[in-house]
Amino acid sequence: MKRRDFIKRSSLASGLFFVPNFIKNIESQSINNLGFRKLVIIQLSGGNDGLNSIIPYTNDVYYKNRPQISIKKNNLIKATDELGFHKSLAPLKNLYDQGYLTIINNVGYPNPNRSHFRSTDIWQTASDSNQYLDTGWLGRYIEKYGKIPYSGIEIDDSLSLIMKGKTINGIATKNPRTLFSNTQTPYFKKVLNYQSDQHLSEHNLGYLYKTMIEARSSAKYIYETSKTYKSTLDYPKNPFGKQLKTTAEFINSHLDSKVYYASMGGFDTHANQFNRQDRLLSTFSSAMEIFVKDLKQNNTFKDTLILVFSEFGRRVQQNGAGGTDHGAANNVYIIGENLKNKGFYNDAPDLLRLDKNGDIIHTVDFRSIYASILDKWLVVDDVSILNKTFKKLDFI
Amino acid sequence: MKQRHIQHLYWRAGFGIDVKKIDQLKSKSKNEIVKNLISDAKKINLLQLDLSEFNLIKNKSPKALRIEMGEEAYRKLRQKSQKKVRDLNHAWLERLTEPTSVLREKMTLFWSNVFVCRDNHIFHIQHFNNTLRKNALGNFRELVKTIAKEASMSKYLNNRQNRKKSPNENFARELMELFTLGIGNYTEQDIKEAARAFTGWSFKLNGDFVLREKQHDSGIKTFFDKSGYFDGDDIIDLILEKKQCARFICDKVYRYFVNPIIDESHLDEITTIFYKDYDINNLMVHIFSAKWFYNDKNIGVKIKSPVELLVGIRRVVPVTFMKKNQLNYLQKMMGQVLLYPENVSGWKGGKNWIDSNTLMFRMKLASLILNDAVINLEEKGAFEDSFNKYYNKERKRNKYIKTIKNWDVFTKNHLKLKPNELRDLLIISKLDKDTADLLNELRVNSNKDYCIQLMSIPEYQLC
Repeated sequence: MKRRDFIKRSSLASGLFFVPNFIKNIESQSINNLGFRKLVIIQLSGGNDGLNSIIPYTNDVYYKNRPQISIKKNNLIKATDELGFHKSLAPLKNLYDQGYLTIINNVGYPNPNRSHFRSTDIWQTASDSNQYLDTGWLGRYIEKYGKIPYSGIEIDDSLSLIMKGKTINGIATKNPRTLFSNTQTPYFKKVLNYQSDQHLSEHNLGYLYKTMIEARSSAKYIYETSKTYKSTLDYPKNPFGKQLKTTAEFINSHLDSKVYYASMGGFDTHANQFNRQDRLLSTFSSAMEIFVKDLKQNNTFKDTLILVFSEFGRRVQQNGAGGTDHGAANNVYIIGENLKNKGFYNDAPDLLRLDKNGDIIHTVDFRSIYASILDKWLVVDDVSILNKTFKKLDFI
Repeated sequence: MKQRHIQHLYWRAGFGIDVKKIDQLKSKSKNEIVKNLISDAKKINLLQLDLSEFNLIKNKSPKALRIEMGEEAYRKLRQKSQKKVRDLNHAWLERLTEPTSVLREKMTLFWSNVFVCRDNHIFHIQHFNNTLRKNALGNFRELVKTIAKEASMSKYLNNRQNRKKSPNENFARELMELFTLGIGNYTEQDIKEAARAFTGWSFKLNGDFVLREKQHDSGIKTFFDKSGYFDGDDIIDLILEKKQCARFICDKVYRYFVNPIIDESHLDEITTIFYKDYDINNLMVHIFSAKWFYNDKNIGVKIKSPVELLVGIRRVVPVTFMKKNQLNYLQKMMGQVLLYPENVSGWKGGKNWIDSNTLMFRMKLASLILNDAVINLEEKGAFEDSFNKYYNKERKRNKYIKTIKNWDVFTKNHLKLKPNELRDLLIISKLDKDTADLLNELRVNSNKDYCIQLMSIPEYQLC
């Protein structure tokens, strides 16, 4: 059969078939009972240098360790008596001034790992440092509470571990039209149009069909719902701006999706950090400011919480190439309208008490942040998602 | 032997089988066919890139080279050598498409996901890969002991930082947790004692193992309730004394080669055999000869790994990739890049390969490489990338996968096949009833088109 015929036959055929029960069940499933709240997670991939983002400008140890790359006192935006924002984070400082930002310092975990891959795994799966999990913490949330792929969307073309569950995963897309068209290829469509799900089993073949059906219905739902809102705001013309714009369009078109994840690359600044990080922070914060504005204009900011993290911070002491090497604990940004603990949540890092690598020691376990978000923001059972009890924090 | 059983054997012991080979084997008995497979696997064809331009790296220390060549030139040489790991990835993938020594190659791939390792030192990682290949069907005891002395492993699990004064437990822990026993079969104290036994195990520039006596703790260790002046080899022997070790490996073997769902009595059976002498070859012969291996419930029920899927297609239609980088793209989009495992626990496999995105991509794979389907998705950037590079992977790529398809070979091999014969050749899983109806209704114009169509149904994802 020719390809053209194949397509023709499928389009002819599609009207003739019943919508199978199995598909109906999936499509009518509602995740509305989970409420209106959204969670957006941004990873600054590569390991953002937190010390040069939020600068301890009265700390001599900081200046001594970074003769070439420290940010001078007169070249930053002071926020408190000891901490100031990198000047490229001015848009973030605006959010801070409006009470929309909480900064949690010294976030990490025991026995920190300094490999990008491993530490990203740890942050994405919420595991211990010596534990290997094959599901992500958002994936487990999707599996237990969302129950359908589009309850979690990654703004990319392939899915990260953070969004993976055991048998239900989130879905990745940076372009809903492309995603949709990929479920409309002749073979994919044709097979599904023939599928009556009468004999799908729990085994692998049944699992494949089930995943296809879910993929198609999620892609259709995301595409058809999100096209009802197109953002008119002027996002920075770069890929990260586009990721946030797409996220805003998803949220403002009132997609039922609950959790979003996007990764911004480029933060592995081993060399010539000064100018590179300057540009990165500017790209990040200017897009973030527009994103918040977009949500506010559409009255969705009040229902959205944004969490920004890196897989690790960087070493206190600069290296020989005008950069910094992989470190440990780092600061995390929480952005939202109704924060309980605005501004700085805890003390700045203690630079006199570093670990044996010369890295910042964590005082807040990142999973305490997850637990607080699950419990207080998404209002679900954090222990069953994180497999452990973590102390909850008081920022929301 | 029945055709379906031959296909089953060759999908598990290799990457599928072509119609010519089936015709050769059909009249033979199971014993003969398994014997054939085993004797074909005796050949050890090492994977070796031409690395002569990087010999300096192998012979002189970075410090000496920096002085001799200058910082910049040294950095460039190093980076260039690190890129060779990608070439090794491509060479390995090409190797898997070759029809000889299939069982050895399949075992090598299997072991690479047991002894998971990653290294950007091309000499060391190539050596590591060949160690797996050499020992793939040998003795498991030898395999573990050799792996423990590999430079790449020493780096990957920090054993070279494991010194008498400050032991590093990483290798000792993963040796037991991931390579031999599984979690819960040892104590934290066992790890500490084992780590002491591996102190001072290091390597020379060229990758050769060396015991640094001064950093080795030669004192008495107490491990699994036994005490002695144990070194690393002794620890490995003590681990292998436990039947749990044989069971742990047989469990992996069973899930990989037989069925992702364990049949306890079959697992007991092969564990007993393996525990006797840890002979890998004997274990595999036993499995492939067992009646239960050919039970219907074991056939066509495994989700192919991305590499099995890709190689399997190429075994039916020979394909040459014009842009080797596009092989990386395909691997990345499906979540399995050889030599670049995500972490030491390896790829989980099975349902873990599948999510909405990977499934759509996998079902389009045959169209992408055989039918010039358009690429409309981008791979993720790398951690080390700059902002621009992180997002701009696609600029380097054409919008479709550039391949030369050798349809002549396919046509010659499959000329006389009727549609249902071609279907039975390509699809080994049970057909979903509705999809079977769909296939029956198709008007098949050419085996070439039908081949791509068959490779695009969900059943082709299974082996």
